[in-house]
Amino acid sequence: MDLKFLVVDDSVTMRRIVINSLRNLGYAEFVEAQDGKDALEKLAADDSITFVITDWNMPIVSGLELIRAIKTDAKLCKLPVLMVTTRGIKEDIIEALNAKVNNYIVKPFTPHILKEKIDQILSNLS
Amino acid sequence: MKQATNLGELFAKLNDLKSLFHYGQKMIPIIQNLIDFMGETVPLLENINQSIAESTAKIPKATNQITNVTSANELATTEILDTVDAISSDIFNSEIVINNVIKTQEQKVELYNQLKEQLKGNDKAEGTLAQIISLDETVATVKPLLEIFDKIKTGAYNITLSLQVQDITAQQLAAVNHLIESVQSKLSSLLTEFSEADVKEVKVNKFEFSDSTKAAFNPDARYEDMKETQQMADELINKTNLTTASQDEIDKLFS
Repeated sequence: MDLKFLVVDDSVTMRRIVINSLRNLGYAEFVEAQDGKDALEKLAADDSITFVITDWNMPIVSGLELIRAIKTDAKLCKLPVLMVTTRGIKEDIIEALNAKVNNYIVKPFTPHILKEKIDQILSNLS
Repeated sequence: MKQATNLGELFAKLNDLKSLFHYGQKMIPIIQNLIDFMGETVPLLENINQSIAESTAKIPKATNQITNVTSANELATTEILDTVDAISSDIFNSEIVINNVIKTQEQKVELYNQLKEQLKGNDKAEGTLAQIISLDETVATVKPLLEIFDKIKTGAYNITLSLQVQDITAQQLAAVNHLIESVQSKLSSLLTEFSEADVKEVKVNKFEFSDSTKAAFNPDARYEDMKETQQMADELINKTNLTTASQDEIDKLFS
C-alpha cells in the first residue's frame, strides 16, 4: 500500500528520525509539520495524505488537540493517526485513546515498534 | 461625704496610674530590646532584599544559557544527522556499483564457460583460460564488502535512532527553564511587595506543569528503555479494541 505520511513534531531532529525510519521501511512520500496547527493546514491543502504520525507536546496546537480535530472532522475522521510521544503514564494513554488515536508509541522508539504499529493500524483499517 | 467619695476615686485613679507607670517601667527594657532587634534586622532584611534582587536579575541569563544549550544540541544533532545521511547515501551508491561489478562478473563467468566449450581439444588454450579464471577473484573480493556495508548501514541507522535523546533532553531542559522562570516570577513579585524594586521580568509561560498536556514539552520525558511502558500502551490499545475506553475498563486492565 502506497502511503503518504504527515509527520508532525516540533523537533526537527525527531521529524528526520521518523522519516528516516519510514524510508528504511520502504515508504517514500512524506509531508512535515512543526505543530498541530501547521498539520491541520497541511491536511487542508493536501488531500493525498493517508497517514498521520504525531508527537503530543507541541506549541500552539498539541498532538492531542490535533487528533481531536482530525477525528471530529467529517472529511478527516477516517485518517489513521499514530502518536509517538514521551508521555507514558496511564492517564495520558487513556486520554489519547479517548481522543480516538489509532495507536500509540512511547519514545524513544525502535524501528521494529514503528513497523509493528503501522502494520497493526493498516490491518485494522482493511 | 461626697468629697470623701471623690478622693477615693482619685486615689483609685492614681493607683491605676502608678500601676501603669510600674508596668511601663517593666516594658521599657523589652521595648528597648525590640528596637535593638529591629535595628539589627533591618540591615539583614535589606541584605536579603538585595540578594533576591541580584538572584532574580541573574535568572534571565540562566534561562538564556539553557536555551543556548538546547539550540547548540539541536545544531550538533542536525550536523550528525547530515553526516550519517551522507554516509548512508555513499554506502547506497557504493552498493549499486558493487552490485553492477558482481553482475558484470557473472556475465564474464558465462562467457568463460562458453569459451571453455569452444577451446575443447586445445589443451594449451584451456590451460591458459583456467589460469585466467583462477586469477579472477572479483566476486570473492567484493561480496564481503556488501556485508560490511550492511553493518555500516545498521550502525548509521542506530546512531540516528540514538539521536532521539536530543528531543528528550530538549524537553527536560524546557521543563527546567519553565521552573526557573516560575521562580523568577515569584521572586519578582515578592521583591515588588518588599521594596517596590524594579526587576526586569522574563516572559513566563502561561501553562503549569499540572496541565502539561498542553505544554510544548513533557517535564517527565526520559531517555531509557520504554519496553514496559510500551507494553502497557499496547495492552490498553489492544484490549479496548481501539474504541473509547471507560475509566472502569482501563482500571480492570491494571487490577
